[in-house]
Amino acid sequence: MFLHCLKYELKTSLRARDLIIWLILFPIVLGTLFKVAFGSIYEKNTLFRSIPAAVVETAENPYFRAAADAVSAGNDALFSLTYTDEQTALGLLKNKEISGILYAGDTVSLTVGGSGIQQSILKSFVEQYGISEAVIRKAAEQNPETLPAVTKALSAEITACTRVPLTDGNTDPFIQYFYNLIAMVAIFGSVTGLHIAIDYQANLSLLGARRSCASVPTAVSRTAAILGSWLTQAVCMVICVSYLAFVLKIDFGSRLPQVYLAAVLGGCMGVAMGFFIGSIGKLSQNAKVGIAMTVSMTCCFLSGLMIGNMKAILAEKVPWVNAVNPVAVISDSFYCLNLYSDYRRFTVKIITMLILTAAFTVLGIILSGRKKYASI
Amino acid sequence: MQVFKTFLKVLRKHLGISALYIVLFMAVGAAMTLMDDSRQMFEQTRLDICVFDEDGTPESKALCALIGQKHNLVTLEKNDDVILDALYYERVNYVLTIKRGYGEKLAAGDTEGLLESRHFHESYSTVYTEQFLNEYVGTVRAFIAGGDSPADAVAHAEAAFAKEVSVNTANFEPTRSSDSQNKTALYFRYLPYLIFSVLMNVLCPVLLVMNKKEIRSRTDCSGIRPGRFTAEVFAGTALFVIGIWLLFVAVSVPVNGCMYQGRMWLAVLNSFVFTLFSAAFALLVSSFSPAPNIINIITQIVSLGMCFLCGVFVDQSMLGDGVLSAARFLPAYWYIRVNRMLEGAEVYDGQFAAKVIAIEAAFVVVLALLTVMLRKSHVRTPKPQRKPA
Repeated sequence: MFLHCLKYELKTSLRARDLIIWLILFPIVLGTLFKVAFGSIYEKNTLFRSIPAAVVETAENPYFRAAADAVSAGNDALFSLTYTDEQTALGLLKNKEISGILYAGDTVSLTVGGSGIQQSILKSFVEQYGISEAVIRKAAEQNPETLPAVTKALSAEITACTRVPLTDGNTDPFIQYFYNLIAMVAIFGSVTGLHIAIDYQANLSLLGARRSCASVPTAVSRTAAILGSWLTQAVCMVICVSYLAFVLKIDFGSRLPQVYLAAVLGGCMGVAMGFFIGSIGKLSQNAKVGIAMTVSMTCCFLSGLMIGNMKAILAEKVPWVNAVNPVAVISDSFYCLNLYSDYRRFTVKIITMLILTAAFTVLGIILSGRKKYASI
Repeated sequence: MQVFKTFLKVLRKHLGISALYIVLFMAVGAAMTLMDDSRQMFEQTRLDICVFDEDGTPESKALCALIGQKHNLVTLEKNDDVILDALYYERVNYVLTIKRGYGEKLAAGDTEGLLESRHFHESYSTVYTEQFLNEYVGTVRAFIAGGDSPADAVAHAEAAFAKEVSVNTANFEPTRSSDSQNKTALYFRYLPYLIFSVLMNVLCPVLLVMNKKEIRSRTDCSGIRPGRFTAEVFAGTALFVIGIWLLFVAVSVPVNGCMYQGRMWLAVLNSFVFTLFSAAFALLVSSFSPAPNIINIITQIVSLGMCFLCGVFVDQSMLGDGVLSAARFLPAYWYIRVNRMLEGAEVYDGQFAAKVIAIEAAFVVVLALLTVMLRKSHVRTPKPQRKPA
């Protein structure tokens, strides 16, 4: 009987094509839009590229020219310098083709068009030039014999910092929008889960009324319905991850099977959450859909779907929210897989998903079971 | 006014769930406005740096103090997971460890292995910090080479780095708005997402009831002309939409702690035109009579897609040229252009703002015409004749 119920549940799910198609279309369309919007942001805004600046020479200053040439030569040049006259330089600055103008004469000064980190790097360079000049002047005045050693110390290429590698994963911060997108698709499984509860409540649907007086034990048919919805949602999640990973080429790191596992479990949790919401009280179908959507959207917002660093803000101020927010738990599992080499935190997230899924399902069963109606 | 009255009756039945959506999105809007700190990352020249001093000598302490003068010192637990999280979510830009033996090595003129850095990207902040650290170490070495004792060299370097060079600013940049104006503009920046989501989720279910096959058939064979039916539905929609818009505009006052003044009224007008667009879109979508649970998915696709492409959640200056060219075909792009002028991110040009709002209004007109045409075509489509049994 269980298999019979499961077969019909799957058939019903497949025939509710509009919902399934939208659940599949949703990540495809939004994922593509995210890819278009965020495709070049990381390279364009985060990674360092030589800072364009102009040099206007008001008087001959060979020392400055040597210093400027040293930092603008080679593949990893700090600046990309253009030697020009003042009017042209101001024109370039106005059109935002350069970040600042270095005026080189007896003294060196800087003119910028606005504030920002590129301008700060230019300012730091001008300051350092002034400091070097002062150090040399001091040595020349007080200990002329140390001048060669001082000049050598100042011109030596120094790498004081040794970089400690932190992770082999993808460090593009914009990938978290894709994590949240998968988590959103998973939590939208609540719409499917909602129908399990509604279709078994005699006061909410005709099907529920018919099922209430059928000879099949409710436990059997409801378990089959939950399992059927989990299977359908799992297929949606697999399609979603596959599209993002193979069509849009989103880099989820080297552990794709575990990404699928987390996505499928997340989908099951979404269905269970919907089942739980659907089982609460005797509200109308529309009200329950509204509640499910409101809860889902709140969870997505708190997980950083709209503001990328929302999860970090919450982690600092109210860390327990991230630990219990289903959407944050799903997106965190992808984050852990991507950045951490071990499975410690990923396992915690998976266990959290399993606990939440079990809790929602059990609560849903308790709330929706053994209901009697005086009239419908 | 029969249709108008019916519309209000249906609306009243949906008020409970509508209130839920309105409260949710208002709370989201307030939170987004109050918590937004995305601008700091790109405008701030003081970086957030965490320093672990393993050396604990006067030399290392002097470096810590100097970093504290130039940047913001952030305290983190010395745990790889905590550091990884803080760097990924950009709570810190750079994590620096001053290695044991830093003071001795510096005095000996050795620059290898003095410091350890933890960062993700070779970003501007990384280059900025490392440029500063290398220059500091180089300067201390030069003072020592010039005959100073290590302690004097550190003191001289500290004094030299404390001096700031004055920077001239060419006045091409638009005048920055005041703090309260900026906050209001920030609230209005997120408004397209909020208004669009609320109207789609609240208005569509009501319109779907009005468009129900049975109700339409009954109305079609009544004395009410299709044109009048559409006009009364439009009037009911307009009343409801203006109410919601006023609510969102009013909420901005307590959230941002200031009343609208001066150019901020332009933001109000801009939001009104965008609200009309959202309502027109809701009318159009409901003409296709989609299932109620599909509406939310359509809403999410359109609202999130449009907002990410047009610079609502991510600033337009960060988006690629291709993306912005495509976004021109969406009203949210034009809405954000006006808002950027009010934020001070673009030069304010009243004529251009008026032109942009007119473009937004054109989107409304096109959608309204499409809806009317669609409704007319529904009415005129002949129903298939039933075959006699």
